[in-house]
Amino acid sequence: MKLNAIKQALAVIAPEALAEAEHAKKGALLDVTVSATQVVEAVSVLDKEGFFIEAITGVDWLGEKENAHKDAVAAAKKKAQDAGKAAAKKVADAGGDEEAQKAAQKEAEAGVAIPAAPVEPFSEEMEVVYDFNNFAEFCRVVLRTRVPRSNPEVPTISHIYPGANWHERETHDFFGIKFVGHPYLAPLLLPEDADFHPLKKDFHV
Amino acid sequence: MSAFAQTQTNETFVLNLGPQHPATHGVLRVKLVMDGEYIVDAEPVLGYIHRMHEKMGENRTWAQFMPNTGRMDYLHALAYNHGYVSVVERAAGIEVPERAEYLRVITTELNRISSHLLWFGAFVLDLGGFSPLLYAFDDREQILDLLESVTGSRLTYCYFRFGGVYNDIDENFAAGARAFIKRLRERMPMYHALVTKNIILMKRLQEIGPISEEMCRKYGATGPVARGSGINFDVRKHEPYSIYPELRFDVPVYTEGDSMARYMVRMDEIEQSMRIVEQALDKLPEGPVMAAKAPKIIKPAKGDYYHAVETARGSFGVRVVSDGSNTPYRLKLRSPTFSNLSLFGEACRGMLLPDALALMGSLDLVIPEIDR
Amino acid sequence: MGTQNIQPPIVQFAQLDKLLALGRANSLWPMTFGLACCAIEMMATGASRFDLARFGAEVFRPSPRQCDVMIVAGTISKKMAPAVETLYDQMPEPKWVIAMGNCAISGGPFLFEGQYGIVEGAEKLFPVDVFIPGCPPRPEALIEGILELEEKVTGSRRFPRVEVG
Repeated sequence: MKLNAIKQALAVIAPEALAEAEHAKKGALLDVTVSATQVVEAVSVLDKEGFFIEAITGVDWLGEKENAHKDAVAAAKKKAQDAGKAAAKKVADAGGDEEAQKAAQKEAEAGVAIPAAPVEPFSEEMEVVYDFNNFAEFCRVVLRTRVPRSNPEVPTISHIYPGANWHERETHDFFGIKFVGHPYLAPLLLPEDADFHPLKKDFHV
Repeated sequence: MSAFAQTQTNETFVLNLGPQHPATHGVLRVKLVMDGEYIVDAEPVLGYIHRMHEKMGENRTWAQFMPNTGRMDYLHALAYNHGYVSVVERAAGIEVPERAEYLRVITTELNRISSHLLWFGAFVLDLGGFSPLLYAFDDREQILDLLESVTGSRLTYCYFRFGGVYNDIDENFAAGARAFIKRLRERMPMYHALVTKNIILMKRLQEIGPISEEMCRKYGATGPVARGSGINFDVRKHEPYSIYPELRFDVPVYTEGDSMARYMVRMDEIEQSMRIVEQALDKLPEGPVMAAKAPKIIKPAKGDYYHAVETARGSFGVRVVSDGSNTPYRLKLRSPTFSNLSLFGEACRGMLLPDALALMGSLDLVIPEIDR
Repeated sequence: MGTQNIQPPIVQFAQLDKLLALGRANSLWPMTFGLACCAIEMMATGASRFDLARFGAEVFRPSPRQCDVMIVAGTISKKMAPAVETLYDQMPEPKWVIAMGNCAISGGPFLFEGQYGIVEGAEKLFPVDVFIPGCPPRPEALIEGILELEEKVTGSRRFPRVEVG
């Protein structure tokens, strides 16, 4: 019931970003990705439906796109090799000599496009994850938003959920994500004068 | 607020409570803005026992993180074991034998009783009564003996494994657990007669530190704090896991929302936990305690996974993000007391300082679990 | 050692000093000061079954001004370190320190390469007299630690040592 209501309400904000999750496999019922500017609106919807806040956290996706690109290149190369081998085998089976086999292999390999490296450096991102749940009926909704790593800024939701205040401070501690409009974004778990963000993937002592 | 408090001038002062203070149960610090004996504003300062659990999760293998879970909330370590193994089992798709799930529930519930007993002793100690602590520890030691015989440690358990538990129980454990429950059943009326019905305790707790249902929702308070405010929320019923759906137990809910309600919720929970242990012992099936096919090296598929369990303090959730390697990419620990404490600042406004300490005690704080 | 920075008195009363040491050793007043998990075992040591009162060390004092032994029971985080040092400084001489548990000895399980939050052992902050290993140490181990400290104060052991084996 809650799930349908919240799905309808959230579909207005971010129609293409809803994904139902299987509880037994993922632990949540609904996974919603919104842009940073839509966070407050989406959280207001959840607030209106009587959800409570479970947690806010971040994930640092440093190198995610670069790794994805590397994986894609490796996969394409493997595909090309396989295609080449298959083509060579075909020619060999048909009685073709070595020359013809090599030519066929080359041709087949060239047929598979290998993704080119982008001209610009990969855009690095961080993710902010909000967990909401409902007291009346189990309905865990995960709200995600991605922000650029160079300037991680998300509007605060502490005016909607005062409990988010500490969660946002903690996320700022760990990842350096700025919650715009937060009343007091001072270190919570780290020492008062801490200027480091330990859960960033490029953090070193 | 009394008439006396309203005749105030605008003179306030800041009082520092902690980080070393016997009433803060560890190293919590609270900056209090006081107007005489009344609290104008309170700001808890955390991080004095921040132990980098989440960072540690990212630089060790999935299995190597297990001991950490027992050291987060050392009073109810087995529930934290349970939360972590459950999320990894969910991520890696490991099946757990039924007997292992029963053993998990039996030990977790015994641990819950020991946690509530310690809270009971420490809470009454906060309010000025020393001897209940000695009674509570006497009972608690019996549980520790039982758990030690099967888990091998007294406090910071690391008993669960991915795909089961590490050790099977024997006849002595089952007999001992039943004997303990019989003993504690007989002693509960004594606790109620000595403490619950004590007029001083009642005066110190009733209508002190009211927390409304809406406040629990806005701050995400769970566990006995929410149940003392009339919210029927228990992860064991709400989002059933393990074998809890097969066991019959009630969720004690009180609607007053004061410190007394939270006290009563925990006292009733001790009785419910005893019911659970008894039923689980009766139903305990034969069989292995470890899954035969449990992989030695865990490499869950890419993606993120969440699992929540009900600890003695509320809903504890673990969110893991896996990148397919043998190390978690990100490990988020959602600790219940973190949220429960976050409402303290608002809840104690306008209260007398000693009453605020009663409120703080009734939240059942375990500081290393807040700071992680 | 806890007493090494005090100047010895000009006039010494050897026998009286021995008597004072005997008194001190048999009525150690620890501080009510728990940092983490070990504090629960410290409470257990003081409570019913293990009954630290048998050894005269049950008077847990919340104020450092009234204590003569500080049991560092738990992990000292970098944020907490100044407070722990202040507590140590506030204790009157003669004073002793027991590092209870692996965290207070070396950082214990929370010591890893690249750690940013903890002090690697109480000895980094002030001198420690007795180390009690364990995670957490059993109450019996804490009692043994107190007996070790008594021996250190008086120079002789009151209770026979338990032989392992």
